Amino acid sequence: MRIPPFKEINPPTKDGFWINKKTNEKFGGQYISPLLVPNLKRVEKGFYKALKDKKFLKELNEELLSFIGVNTPIHFSPELTKLAGGEKKIGKIYLKRTDLHTNHSHKPVSAYSSCKLAKYLGFKKILTETGAFQNGRAVASACAALGLDLDIYVGAKDAKKLAINKDISALHGANIIEVHDSTKSLLPAMAAALRAFQSEPDSMYVVGSVAGPHPYPLMVRTFGSVIGRITKKQFKNLVGKDPSTIFSVCGGGSNMLCISYPYIKTKNTKIYAVESAGKGLKTGKHGATIGGGGKMGILLGMQSKVLLDGENIAESFTEASGLDFSSIGTEVAYLQSIGRIKFLTATDLEAKKTFMMMARKVGLICAIEACYVIHAAIKEIRKIGKPKQNHLIHLCGAGEPNVAQMMEHMKKNK
Amino acid sequence: MSKLNILFKEARKNKKKIFIGFVTSGDPNYNSSKEIIKEMTKSCQIIEAGISFNTSTSDSPIIMEANDRAINSGMNMNKTFKLIKEVKRETNTNTCFVIMTYLNPVKIFGIKKFINQCNFVGIDGVIIVDSNLNSPEEKILINSLSKNKIGYIKIISPTNDDEFIKQSIKNCRDSWLYITSYYGLTGSKNVNINNVKMMIKRVRKYSKEIPVAVGFGVKTPSQVKQVSKYADGVICGSTIVNKVAEGHKKRLKGKKLATFVSSYVKKLSKGIRK
Repeated sequence: MRIPPFKEINPPTKDGFWINKKTNEKFGGQYISPLLVPNLKRVEKGFYKALKDKKFLKELNEELLSFIGVNTPIHFSPELTKLAGGEKKIGKIYLKRTDLHTNHSHKPVSAYSSCKLAKYLGFKKILTETGAFQNGRAVASACAALGLDLDIYVGAKDAKKLAINKDISALHGANIIEVHDSTKSLLPAMAAALRAFQSEPDSMYVVGSVAGPHPYPLMVRTFGSVIGRITKKQFKNLVGKDPSTIFSVCGGGSNMLCISYPYIKTKNTKIYAVESAGKGLKTGKHGATIGGGGKMGILLGMQSKVLLDGENIAESFTEASGLDFSSIGTEVAYLQSIGRIKFLTATDLEAKKTFMMMARKVGLICAIEACYVIHAAIKEIRKIGKPKQNHLIHLCGAGEPNVAQMMEHMKKNK
Repeated sequence: MSKLNILFKEARKNKKKIFIGFVTSGDPNYNSSKEIIKEMTKSCQIIEAGISFNTSTSDSPIIMEANDRAINSGMNMNKTFKLIKEVKRETNTNTCFVIMTYLNPVKIFGIKKFINQCNFVGIDGVIIVDSNLNSPEEKILINSLSKNKIGYIKIISPTNDDEFIKQSIKNCRDSWLYITSYYGLTGSKNVNINNVKMMIKRVRKYSKEIPVAVGFGVKTPSQVKQVSKYADGVICGSTIVNKVAEGHKKRLKGKKLATFVSSYVKKLSKGIRK
């Protein structure tokens, strides 16, 4: 299948804001020190240039198809359909399998594209951050393939948890820098990568999510929307129409936005995002920016919804490193504010139970992050309870990195 | 005319230069920090007090650690205002006070309330590191700070283009233009004098009047002396914060810590060309 071309259907302002006209809330922007301005300008100009360069796009699409393998299947899941109540009651549940990409998650699509852009613009080195090491690994593989040097910033807490992907990134030749600031998780890792970008203007920063200063949220969703563009075409070929719902998990929101973007203006498709409720929303120990009542704040160069602790950014909590983020992407926050995306949550325990269910009943070892969405989707689909519906769940990562953690869970719960 | 304006104008008239010391307010805690700042008023004509933000994207590890110490000791915007007010009352000093922070703490505190508090306490100038020249908040800040005769300081660095420098001069109000001597993080390298000369030349193409002060990597009295040959003011930051950390590690507290830090600041300030 060829990759359908990109269409801009939700453009930000020239300063990189998505504005909710009813509330006048502005999501996005470039809240950065003056020292970063030239670096971002270079990336922004280069990004727009590349988008118009047919040769660049043709080459990129070919490599996404061959090297990343973006043409991953969508298939009917009889087990999940049955679990949600059966076809007669809820219709059908389908899975989009971006866990089958090279490097086993949705991340390689925007990671490879961003690195390709860096090379196109003449950068020799990449700086990036990672939480679950899905992005770290994806960027490390891309840099190896494209001959770029790489520094990966990772929170010291996450580095301990996800040893396999960390080792794989190192095998690809990445230099891994552990960040010991504040919460030792994704948020300080991203701040550290941005600080490094300020010190190394000859390196290009690659963001793992649809977050950060303009043009990054725009760039990551534009590149990543390859997933959604293929999905839209595939689903129509398979089912004959657009899905009634799309469910994705949401930390920063990259996998959610990348699959849902082409559906933003598709009225018959409801879009859902699932956050981690950690130990439970009421305990205060969670990673749910929207579900936990996040407010407008400014961090990491952007204005978005944020979990706040006084004048500072609050610590998020979840066992899924990929969801351990106290904010969400700017366009995601905008789409939520205008009511286009509905947010749900699932707890860490619910996700772990779903992991075991997927392993035992469906035969898939899913990334723990994807288990939050599977749990919440089944619950919501049951609630919708209408036949002849076609539900799509984004299975956005494979679970090998979570094996050790889940073995412990299995032993404890024998 | 603002107090900062008068200070720089008088200095230029008398061919003198201004020494500016940065310290994180509330580092390592409220009481010790108050003593440090009180002592620093003896050798600094301007004190820049940093208000911590735990997700800052421009600070060196030295200042990040100071931010952590301050936040962990319960420091916030309100307490910084209280601290500076107490310092002013207890020292009866002539030193100007500038607040340096990020937009998130200011917006959460409330821009209007922030400016009211600056007015009430007698803050002479404000630096908000991540308020971009085109951000929606920038206009509000410029207008309301001007109305209250509070200086608004903008930062420029060697990698910024002329258009950016021109716009920064325009956005600056009743204060000085802050030149970083290199690109990178505060205190991560040594001051680059060639950059300083080049940057001042670039600024002077657009404004003969605006005072310029140089920071980033100024760590010794001789560097202070070198920079003050070209700039109207010299800013020492990370090196002072580092001294606070050193004293804190030695378990010095209150007045003892303040003397330890301020004797160092005094040495630095003596580098200023008289």
